[in-house]
Parts: sequence; structure tokens; C-alpha cells
Amino acid sequence: MESAAEAAFESWAIDLRVVFLLLLSAAVYLRGWLRGRTLLRDDRDSLRLTSFLASLVVLFLATESPLDAFDSLFLSAHMTQHLLLMMVAPPLLLLSEPLLPVLRGLPKSFVKEGLGPFLSWKPLKQFFGWLVSPIPAWLIFALSTVLWHIPQLYELALSSPAWHGVQHACFFWSGVLFWWPVIQPAPGKRRWPKWVAIPYLLAADILNTLLSVVFVFSSHLLYASYGTVRASPFSALEDQSLAGLIMWVPGSAVYLLPAFVLVMGLFTSPGMRVAHVPRRVRAKAKPARSVWWKRAPMLRRVAQVAMLLTSIAVVADGFRGQQVAALNLAGVLPWIHWRALSMLALLTVGNLFCLACPFMFVRDAARRLIFPTLRWPHALRNKWLGGGLIVAYLWVYEAFSVWDSPWLTAWLIAGYFIVAVAIDSLFRGASFCKYVCPIGQYHFVVSLISPREIAVRDKATCYRCQTYDCIRGNETARGCELFLFQPKKASNMDCTFCLDCVKACPHDNVGLLAVAPGATLISDVYRSSIGRFSKRIDLVALTLLIVFGAFVNAAGMVGPVMMWEHGWHARLGSHAMPFVVGCFIVAGAVLLPLITYWLCRLINGSAEQANRLAFSLVPVGAGMWAAHLLFHAASMWTTASVTWLQILFLEAGLLLSLYTAWRIGKQAKLFVPWASVACLLFAAGAWIFFQPMQMRGMMMH
Amino acid sequence: MKRVISLLAALASLTWADGGKVQFQRKAGAFNITLFSSPATVRAGRTDFSVMVQKTSDQSAVLDADVRLRFVQRNETAISSVSAPARHDQATNKLLYAAHVDLNATGKWRVEITVQTPRDSALVTGDLDVESPEPKILQYWPYFMILPVAAFLFLVNQRLKRRRRAANRR
Repeated sequence: MESAAEAAFESWAIDLRVVFLLLLSAAVYLRGWLRGRTLLRDDRDSLRLTSFLASLVVLFLATESPLDAFDSLFLSAHMTQHLLLMMVAPPLLLLSEPLLPVLRGLPKSFVKEGLGPFLSWKPLKQFFGWLVSPIPAWLIFALSTVLWHIPQLYELALSSPAWHGVQHACFFWSGVLFWWPVIQPAPGKRRWPKWVAIPYLLAADILNTLLSVVFVFSSHLLYASYGTVRASPFSALEDQSLAGLIMWVPGSAVYLLPAFVLVMGLFTSPGMRVAHVPRRVRAKAKPARSVWWKRAPMLRRVAQVAMLLTSIAVVADGFRGQQVAALNLAGVLPWIHWRALSMLALLTVGNLFCLACPFMFVRDAARRLIFPTLRWPHALRNKWLGGGLIVAYLWVYEAFSVWDSPWLTAWLIAGYFIVAVAIDSLFRGASFCKYVCPIGQYHFVVSLISPREIAVRDKATCYRCQTYDCIRGNETARGCELFLFQPKKASNMDCTFCLDCVKACPHDNVGLLAVAPGATLISDVYRSSIGRFSKRIDLVALTLLIVFGAFVNAAGMVGPVMMWEHGWHARLGSHAMPFVVGCFIVAGAVLLPLITYWLCRLINGSAEQANRLAFSLVPVGAGMWAAHLLFHAASMWTTASVTWLQILFLEAGLLLSLYTAWRIGKQAKLFVPWASVACLLFAAGAWIFFQPMQMRGMMMH
Repeated sequence: MKRVISLLAALASLTWADGGKVQFQRKAGAFNITLFSSPATVRAGRTDFSVMVQKTSDQSAVLDADVRLRFVQRNETAISSVSAPARHDQATNKLLYAAHVDLNATGKWRVEITVQTPRDSALVTGDLDVESPEPKILQYWPYFMILPVAAFLFLVNQRLKRRRRAANRR
């Protein structure tokens, strides 16, 4: 570090939570803004977008820049931060007229079903209307400003990060309320004449000046904390006067400038005023889609080749490289990065791993030489084999510490290639994917809550179709190898995202479409090649195994469970560890779900209803997998605790599970048992997060 | 791509050391040394400690020092000791030197801060009260509050929908 100035400039207090929220807000606004422009264009659109983004930048600067790092040392830095939060970010936000773009940017079903009832609730509208009328808005702003500058409250904010956050939130949101009557953002007509804003702003300036005077001319330090450390040539009292000046001069300018503009507007004769009439033009019709989709299968091949090359590197390093997991590709890439990335893909898009599956690439190459003739045995056309392999995987992974052995990992991957090619060289279709591959089964189940699905755009087009190329195939593409007939396909179950149907459809009617997460779990329609979920006990078993497996897999890495396992290991003998681990896995991932299902079915009084409701646990299970796998990936990047993120993932899963259970079975005897199971699983997950966890593949245990 | 990697690397080095509460301030030789802790109340478990080293002559920050922290607890039966180097890259405020330290027991700990620069060196000591750790559920209570709030909003949403349906039927 060369100089103090350089050090100060590098002191960015980046908080991932704030950055994520700001980026999310920008994405939602941008999406809505773009959607709005496809309907109607206005020559002020760009200005609004710039204003919104500028408000986010100001918020970022206020909360993450060196201002934040120095706010506990210098009152002047803290004051600047507060000015940005109260007087710069809120007016910029309101000038961007954010309501319509944000509503357009959010998922339609959420706006209609979730926000709709609130937005049209009269008492709430009246309350908000009152809140943003001049007198309440001014009073709330003034109270927030004055109260938070009382020494006791200010010191409270300085001593506690939580209260500091509350203080900043008060400043920002009271700022939004304050600037609302001045800007009166669209939509909605102006409720107050423009001149009202002049005394309104002048009154705020008087209050601001009075407060500033106290800071500038006070002969004693108002906030004792700033007197503890003297971090600059200035004394704390001089720093306090500087803070007062910042509040006084730029602060007053922010109030007086708009007041001056408004006054000038009043004194300009009506004849001289040139009212701005926004130029609105209807947007041109949407360009025809399709080019992107037609190229998607080629993109799939590129992704498969990339994954294949990565797999070869992993296997080679696993066999020949250093046999230390943290220093070997086979110890780090598959168990930490790949699992986390495929989980992230499942939560944000869909089953992208199966799309880029390297095993299928090799299999497709082999099928150019060997033509399979056999049909997969009838008795095995279900998920029992795949489920059994998942139990075996959970056991092998823990019992033989596969994560810690690059050599075993390399064998596992190589074995996977051999088995995939062998099975699909003998049997027609994608038998390996549909009935055997444990990774595929896991992805099929978790992708039931993905926000994207390969589906038809317009069902009527399918009903008019005479050729059924999506399932039969044609000269350009093969049909669906998993026998999913698009018009009757109603979820991501069994869909490998291979995009064959997209390429084969002559009507360009199949695509990767948005779907509300978890919506496909609610209905029990007949699904092509699957049937009804309520009639498939093998699917129910697979789902429960993956849900409970998430908790068992994570629990196997925490201190108390490991101690328990080692205790039994010591009692039973030196070779007993695989047996102990096996007992734990069978008890947690097989027997416990079995007992849970049996109890719930007993209370539900109907096997069909219990089968449907079992799928409501998918979100909480996916939340646990995400929390666990992303924790390991995040631990590679940061030393900061990510427990809060794990809790958020699990909570999102629990809430979606409860909603799904409620939508499926609205009676207490149907809903309560499964909701209780989801809550118990959540509690188990929270307990696991709070235990010390083994940091696998990271040179520390 | 390089930019993306450097951005990820920057995010990866995120730390929580943000000054926090002043635990003590001492003068030693040419230096004025201040120890901060975050959170303000030090509890058994992980705590971020930050050290500010200033010249006594003009209060300017010393940025090229080698700073080490050592925590010692003596009781009747044993002596526990934890030491860690404090560095700029672990601090949010780059004028400070920060270290993440796991103190495994409650009670009184003695803190020794060693500061070494090419020209001077200093050692200051002070006492630190370490309290018992807060239950994890209390540490994360704002996150757990999301569940009842979401449940409440959902109930209101359903009530409003029912009311609207009833009004439409009328």
C-alpha cells in the first residue's frame, strides 16, 4: 500500500447481498422497460432508464464505496453517504417512473396472482395515496432526519450493523416518500398543483439548515464515537463542522434548485411555456423468432464437446495426477464446481447438464457404428433401477470417500462412459437416460421446479399437425428418444433438453419456454410416456429419495453425525465404516421417507392423493441440495460465512413446497401432514447449516 | 475474460472486517495502535479483529507494517493461545490490518499486538472479555422472519382473492 489516499480509494465494502439486490432490480426494470418498448415507444424512455440505473449506481456508491468503509471514522463521510441516500437516489428513482416497468419485468403470474390482490385493494391504495401526500410525506421525512441525528440513536446505528442498516433504510424510503409529491411519477394523474412543491421544498431546506447549523457551530462533539480514533490531521470537531457544511451547502442546493425551477415556471407567461408533449409511437411488430432455436442443437454439440474434453482432462488427472483431492481436477471439478453449476443451471434455466451430457456425445458417435436392436425390458421401464443406483451412489460417495480420491473419481467417470455406451449400443432409444442414469434421474426430479421447460408454443398448431415429427423424427432430426410427445408433455420429467424436438418441428412450435417454478407439480394431468404422477409409485419413491437424500448427504459431512459414525466404527471394528455409513444412508434416505410416506398416506386416506402430495416436497429438497452444493462452491471463493444464503435457499424451497402442498390438497387432512414434513425437513436443514461442516476438496477438514 | 476473472477474484476476496468497535488504544514507541472488533461484543467463535497503526507524531496511518495478533488465555489447568497475521487484504477499510480469529473459550483473554516496520517495532497488550456465543438462531433471526412474514402476506392475499370472488358473484 503506497499512500493513505490510495488505501482509502481501495476500501470498497462490497456486500454480495446488496450487489445481488441492485443487479436484480436492474434486470427486472430492464426487462419491463424492453417489454414496454415493444408496445409503445416514448422519446423519454432512454432518460427514464438512465435515471433508474443512475439511482442504483448512487445506492451502490452510498453503501459499498469507501464512504461506507470510513463512515465509522469520519462523520463527514457518513454525512455524504446519508445525503446520497436521502437526496440523490430517491429523486433519480422516481424520475425513472419505475412502477410500470417493474410490474412488466416481474413474472406475469406473480404480478397477477401474488401482487394483483394487493394492488387493487382499496384501503391499501388509499393509505399509500395518503402517505405520499405532501403533509405526511414531509413529516415522515423530517422525523426520520431529526430522530436519527439524536446522539443516542446515531450511536446505536454506529455500534450495530443491523441498526445501521435500519437507519439507511429509513433515510432512503423516507426520501422516496418526500420526493414523491415533488415529482409525482407516472402512472396516475397529478394530484397537487406544481406550486405546492415550492413551500414544501423551502420548509425542508429550513429544517436542513437548522440541523446543519448545529453541526457547524457546535463547540462540543455530538457523537462520542468519532472522538475515539483520530484518523486524520483534522480533529473530530473539525470533521463535525465539515459534515455540517456538506449537509448545509450541497443539501440546500438539492432543495433550492428544483424550487427555483418551479418558481421560474410559475413566472413564465403561459404563452412562453412550451409544454413537452411526449412523442409516443406504437412499436413495430415483433420480428419473427426461430433462427436462434434452429441453431440450438449445434450449440448443444459445442457444449457436449466442451464437457467431453473436460471429462477427459478430469479422468487423465485422476489416474495420473497427484492423488490429493484439492490439487487434482478429479477432486475439485466434479465434486465442487460441476455439481454447484448444474444446480445453479437447474434453478435458473433447466436441465442444462443433460443438454451438455458428454456421455451422450460418445454414445451418439458409437451409434454410427453399432445399431441397437433390442427394446428395454418391460420390467425395468420404471425408476426403481435409477433410484437404487442413487442409493448406491450416496453410499459409495460417503463410505469410500470418493470425493477424496481422484483415482476412484476417474474410475467412476470412465465407468459411466462405458456403461452408457454399452446400454445404448444394445437398446433402442435413450434407455440409459430414461431408466438407468442416476445423475439424469436427479436432474429430472429437480428440474420439475425449473423456470424453463421445453414445450409447445401453441397447442392448436400441434393439433393441426399431421406428421408428428417431434416424436417420429424426420430427415433433419431424430424424434424424441425418451418418447415424450410434445403436445402431451407437461413437465421437465424425463426431458434431457436434447432439443431434437425443437429441430424436428416443422412449424417452429417447440421452444424453451418460461414456466412458473413448481407449477407442473400441482396438476395431475396425463403426461406423455409417464402417465399421471399420482399413479407412478416408482416416481414417488424416486422423488422422496432425492428429497431426503439431500439432507442425508449434507448431514454426512457435519461434526455430530461424523462423530456418531466414528463412534460406531470404533465399537464394531476397523472394517465396519462402510456398514455404518450404509446403515445411516438406508435409514435416512430409504426407511425414513418410507415411514413418512406411510404415515402421510394413512392420514390422507388416499394413496392417489398421497402420491400427488409427495411431489410437493421437491422444492424443499432442491433448496437443500442448492444450499449444500453452492456452499461448497462458495467456500472456494470466499472466507466469509454464507450461512445466510443457505437459509435463503432452504426457505425459498420450504415456501414453494408449502404453496404446492396447499394448491394440491386444500383440506387440512391432505395439506397438514405434508406441510409438517416440509417444516421438519427445513428444521433439519437449518440444524445442519449450524453445525461445523467438513470442507471437502479444500485442503482443510 | 480476464476482466471477468479479475472481477470474480475481487468478489472472492470479500471480507467482513469493517473496523467495528474500538476495544482499546495504546501508545508504544513511535506508534499509536488501536484494536477494533466486529461484532462489537466479542463472543467465542469467529471474530474479525482490525488494527489501526498510526504515527504518534502526525497521526498518519502506517501502511507498510507487519502486524501480528496473539490471544492468550490462562486458566488453572491450561494455557490457550491463538495467533494470526493481520493484513490489509482482509480488511474492508484498507487503512486497517485485519484478521479473522477463532477464540474457542469464553472469559478474559490477553491480546498482544506486534507491529514491525523497517525502522521501528512495538508491542502493545490489552485485555479482552469474550462472552459465550450467541445461539445461531439469534444470529440469523432476520432471515428466519421471512417465513412468518411470507405466510402472513399469503393469508392476506388469499383473503383478498376470496373477497373479490364473493364481490364478483354478487
